[in-house]
Amino acid sequence: MMEIINTLMETVMSNQVSIPLIEPMLDSLPEIPMLQYMVAFMLWKPIFALLICPGLTVGGLSLLFFPWIERKLCGRAQWRVGPHEIVWWLGGVIQLLADSLRFLFQEVIVHKDAHRPYFLQFPFLSFMIFLLPLLFIPAGTIVAIQTPYAIQIILALVCLFPLFILGFGWASNSRFAYIGTVREAFMYFAYEIPFIIAAIAMIILYGTSDPLLMASRQSIPGIILNPVAALVFFIGAAMATGRMPFEIPDSDQELCAGPHVEYSGIAFGLIYVLCYEKGYILSALMTILFLGGGSGPAIAGLGDLSGVFWFVVKTYLVLTTLFMLRAVYPRYRLDQGLKLGWSPMLVMAIIGLAISLVVVAVRVI
Amino acid sequence: MKMKSMKKVVGPEYNLGDKIKTNVYAVGVAMQESVYPHTATVFYPRERKKMPDNFRGFILFDPDKCISCFNCSFVCPANAIRMKEAPNKRYYPTVDYGRCIFCHFCIDSCSGGALKATKIHDVAYKDMDAMFTPTEEMIELPEIIREDKKYVEYEIKEDDLHLKRTKGEDYLFVEVPPPKEIPMVSTCIDPGSCIGCRVCADVCEHGAISASVEDGGTLRMKIDTDECTGCGLCVKECSMQILMLNKLERE
Repeated sequence: MMEIINTLMETVMSNQVSIPLIEPMLDSLPEIPMLQYMVAFMLWKPIFALLICPGLTVGGLSLLFFPWIERKLCGRAQWRVGPHEIVWWLGGVIQLLADSLRFLFQEVIVHKDAHRPYFLQFPFLSFMIFLLPLLFIPAGTIVAIQTPYAIQIILALVCLFPLFILGFGWASNSRFAYIGTVREAFMYFAYEIPFIIAAIAMIILYGTSDPLLMASRQSIPGIILNPVAALVFFIGAAMATGRMPFEIPDSDQELCAGPHVEYSGIAFGLIYVLCYEKGYILSALMTILFLGGGSGPAIAGLGDLSGVFWFVVKTYLVLTTLFMLRAVYPRYRLDQGLKLGWSPMLVMAIIGLAISLVVVAVRVI
Repeated sequence: MKMKSMKKVVGPEYNLGDKIKTNVYAVGVAMQESVYPHTATVFYPRERKKMPDNFRGFILFDPDKCISCFNCSFVCPANAIRMKEAPNKRYYPTVDYGRCIFCHFCIDSCSGGALKATKIHDVAYKDMDAMFTPTEEMIELPEIIREDKKYVEYEIKEDDLHLKRTKGEDYLFVEVPPPKEIPMVSTCIDPGSCIGCRVCADVCEHGAISASVEDGGTLRMKIDTDECTGCGLCVKECSMQILMLNKLERE
């Protein structure tokens, strides 16, 4: 028995997150029984990636605070105030916490015509596809599963989001939800192809699709090497999140709320954060592909956490820019969105691919 | 008839350079505003927007100046003002705020200056029936819980809206100087048509009209120009409509 534990401990200890700042504290831990095993387990890189960054903790915190940041910044840009009254001396920070409490105690209404099992399952299952891509996203050097095909896997898992949105609309069995679902399907094809081509352009540029290797090969950030692909990827991400300039599927003025018009209570709460989940993953992907991942000047004392810090800062910067678009641009119609996706973005994505090929050729020569 | 040359209205055309320029400008403004916002919100319970003095709000009533001329209820386009009989047998206005459109025609038409405008715009009622305001509730200012510590004024500088906040409470009741009185006097324009009903003498509050029987047995009404205040009540009540208000010409 002890041998198994010892071999397990060896594997765990061999792959620890090193943080020089808290090492004196860790050294004093063996005096307390069991705690050192638990701390060692928590600091084991895959578990750290899963539970802290980029996993549950940072992801959950961004879900909790990004709706507030978005509403606050857009409000300021539009001469409004945004959330204000709940804890008004802090500017209404806990707005979403208050909202989610309300969602929790609200009844989840399943109407008569809905496909009951799917109607209730899809919102809760959709949280799973937020967690799955996080396994492959590295924060600095910390990653749960390291594979040379990480970018492709993340892209494939991100493509599951529209599937679930289609599921909401189908299970709702309502005309607004149906129109919203059809629009989501249209938009999905419009943005996904240029989006994937832009990602492929960067994979060609770096010659690898392992995020850690990609970060190490970005002595010059990808956004400077291939700005066209970065622009296409950014617009594609904005279209994928379905936020304001491209909120064509759930256009409030026309379709109430599109695919999730029939949802209420905590089921609605889970759908409400879906676009933030998607935004978080796509911003993390953009950080890896174009902004050098967790690379940045090392901060003394933080060790491996330095990479985590730069990764989170860059991701949040991209996420904020993504959500600030709604304060600047008016919304697109469905036909304008499709036109944008199928003509300028597709052409720009192919130009981006060509730029990547040229850069690779020049480097070889 | 041949139509003149038609002009088709088209949107301005932008080239790529202009588009990039406008986009960069828009993003720049958004970033600038999110750091230094020109927030135009007035945090209402804690601060109040300073309304102009001629703001049309809650209507106050001074029964001492009212001559019960009914002008306010006649002129009211929304039929919100009804005259109700008071214990002193006078008729005073009541306002139904469920109907009132705040045109303040009543205040403009008030000959004695009894109705007055205030800047109060935030009176709450429990239901539609409570919105009917009897005369007694119009005499005093309604009870308002003042939470405001500042008042806000809008200023337009360089095409942008700015808020100017000043500490202190804004006054809600505007003191208007009483209207310039034109001395009027009631005169009978056709004494021959008088039927001697004595309504004018009964209605006069100042005892300016008196009746006397002349030699031939004919009743004669007499108006004392010194006592007459020119309120016009007798003019309104005269059944033969032979009384008229005229400018008093004093030497």
